[in-house]
Amino acid sequence: MENQNYPGRYSRRQAIKFGATALGLGAFARAFPASADDIISKAKIVPVGETVSGAKYKKAGPFRIGFSNGFSGNTWRTECLYALKKEAGQHKEISDLIVVDGQGDIAKQVNDIENLVSQNVDAILCIPNSGSAVAPALRDATKQGVVTVPFNLPIDGEAWTAYTGTDPQKKGFELGKWLRGALGDTGKIVALGGLPGNSYTAAAWAGAQKAMEGSKIQVLAFKDASWEEDKAKVIMADLIAAYPQIDGVWCDGSQDAAGAMKALMDAKRPLVPVCGDDYNGLLKLYDQQKANYPKFNIGLLSEPSWESVVALHIALKLLNGEEVPKRQIIEPQLITSENYKKYLRADLPDGVFVDTDLTDDELKALFKS
Amino acid sequence: MFQVSQVLNILQVAAFLGVVATGQTLALLAGGIDLSVAGVVTMANIVSTGLMAGRDGNMFIAVGTCILVAAVVGLINGLMITIVRVAPLIATLGMNSFLFGAALVYTNGAPHGGIAPGFAFFGQGHLMAFPISTVCWLVVALTIAWITRRTVFGRQLYAVGASATAAQMMGIPARRIVIVAYILSSVMAVLGGLLITSYIGSPSLGIGDQFLLSSIAATIVGGTALTGGIGSIVGTIGGTIFVTELNSFTNIVRVSTALNSLLQGVVIALSVLLYRFVGVSRTSLTPQ
Repeated sequence: MENQNYPGRYSRRQAIKFGATALGLGAFARAFPASADDIISKAKIVPVGETVSGAKYKKAGPFRIGFSNGFSGNTWRTECLYALKKEAGQHKEISDLIVVDGQGDIAKQVNDIENLVSQNVDAILCIPNSGSAVAPALRDATKQGVVTVPFNLPIDGEAWTAYTGTDPQKKGFELGKWLRGALGDTGKIVALGGLPGNSYTAAAWAGAQKAMEGSKIQVLAFKDASWEEDKAKVIMADLIAAYPQIDGVWCDGSQDAAGAMKALMDAKRPLVPVCGDDYNGLLKLYDQQKANYPKFNIGLLSEPSWESVVALHIALKLLNGEEVPKRQIIEPQLITSENYKKYLRADLPDGVFVDTDLTDDELKALFKS
Repeated sequence: MFQVSQVLNILQVAAFLGVVATGQTLALLAGGIDLSVAGVVTMANIVSTGLMAGRDGNMFIAVGTCILVAAVVGLINGLMITIVRVAPLIATLGMNSFLFGAALVYTNGAPHGGIAPGFAFFGQGHLMAFPISTVCWLVVALTIAWITRRTVFGRQLYAVGASATAAQMMGIPARRIVIVAYILSSVMAVLGGLLITSYIGSPSLGIGDQFLLSSIAATIVGGTALTGGIGSIVGTIGGTIFVTELNSFTNIVRVSTALNSLLQGVVIALSVLLYRFVGVSRTSLTPQ
């Protein structure tokens, strides 16, 4: 049955009903039982490494949960936080969800985590501003018996209770492999990454380079574009002026990809194969321009904004004394020209990240559209 | 070294920074500094795309609202500095933080909207291959240059920047001059914000951050003194082109981001030292 509001695409709930079992979401359902039906990306959650026993964390509710958000200045974080609050509201055993914002400052986030411990929270969820600098604060919290679940961005060591997120190196490899295939093993590309020095981009680009080893693909330049359209467009405009031939663009975020494609359009150059994530702005651009540019193609791997919900479920399982894997790696399916319409949200702003468990009405309310 | 297309591209991109730096120059000439320009640029981006919502009919109300809000921001900055006697660095940094917080509250972290199709002309359009954004920048900058060099307000601005006390003793309304300088600085920042919004087409909460220090760098490299009362808008035009060209150059050459930043820092420091050296030489040659 097609979604009545958007003919031709299925709702998340419908999509998952068709294929959840066949797609082998057993591991996913174990970690994310309450909301598995709401997920569009058909992502798998793969347990990695040892399991962690919840025996020493088991306690009677109600629970106080803390969330240390590294910063809150983009739409992915907004969706992520909304999903977390929504999920927490559905659990009667959670008495408080305390959210603190590190405002992009490592020192503030460390202090935030210490404050959460002093407020006697039972579990701390955390998106770290720094994989190395925030780890000691989580280690201290863990030592004091608090369940600590970093997620989304890589974190150093093992001195936290459990982790969930995507594997940036593997994602980078898959995106590189897709781009290599889209270019027929040869061509000149440029690469655009996220914030300068961030470990996610470094791992993703390392994976991409590995995927392109042995091909005739020449990397003209790698530049950090901060996952922002405006910066990516300015940098790409410079690269376009410098290099007469650019056959493809590798990005680890689709804000960069959208900015790069808009720069090509401004320069009256044809659009080319590009990779990235589930940023709606690129999906809309692809839908509008694919007929005008035969070589324009997309290969995207989402960064699910429902990672916060998975992290919360992990924390609750541990507080209930259950076992969980030490690491749970989320593996989304590739979005391409074949299946992009299922993800496209033409009725919503560019800033929406489409791999979300939020309903259409919730997204519209959130983005005031 | 650069092809024509590269030069035109640099000029197009330089326009956004150039307009913001024009306002920053006024704040520095008045003996202050305006760290709220980043917040004003972000505000311009968020408010204009939200109000335009992709419709040409909303263009004038969106632009008008942005300019009005910027004027109020500049007025508050000026009043905080002249009446409440808060240091310019603190007052404008506080305003910057307030504006970013306001943008987060206004959008709930999820900005929406987009520019009107007709508005794209200012940031993306060309006049016989010459970028319209550059034309806008040069018109704004040369107008302000004329005001600072040829009007009573301009002369008073330099006098207040050199010594507010001395200027006041000469009968110059120093407070009013400083307040007007901050209002103009905010309005310039909003115009720069509107230009980059026109260029990119969509809202972004982090869009203004890049202007916080680059607007000061462009102004200082252009010869304006941090101590106030010395400098020129024309110098800032040169400084803007220099800083943008440096960015562009480091984008093109095959160096890492870390080396990019290192290179930019060294070149900017050297250029300021060179300017000082040339400036001192000229002063020593001038008959006293």
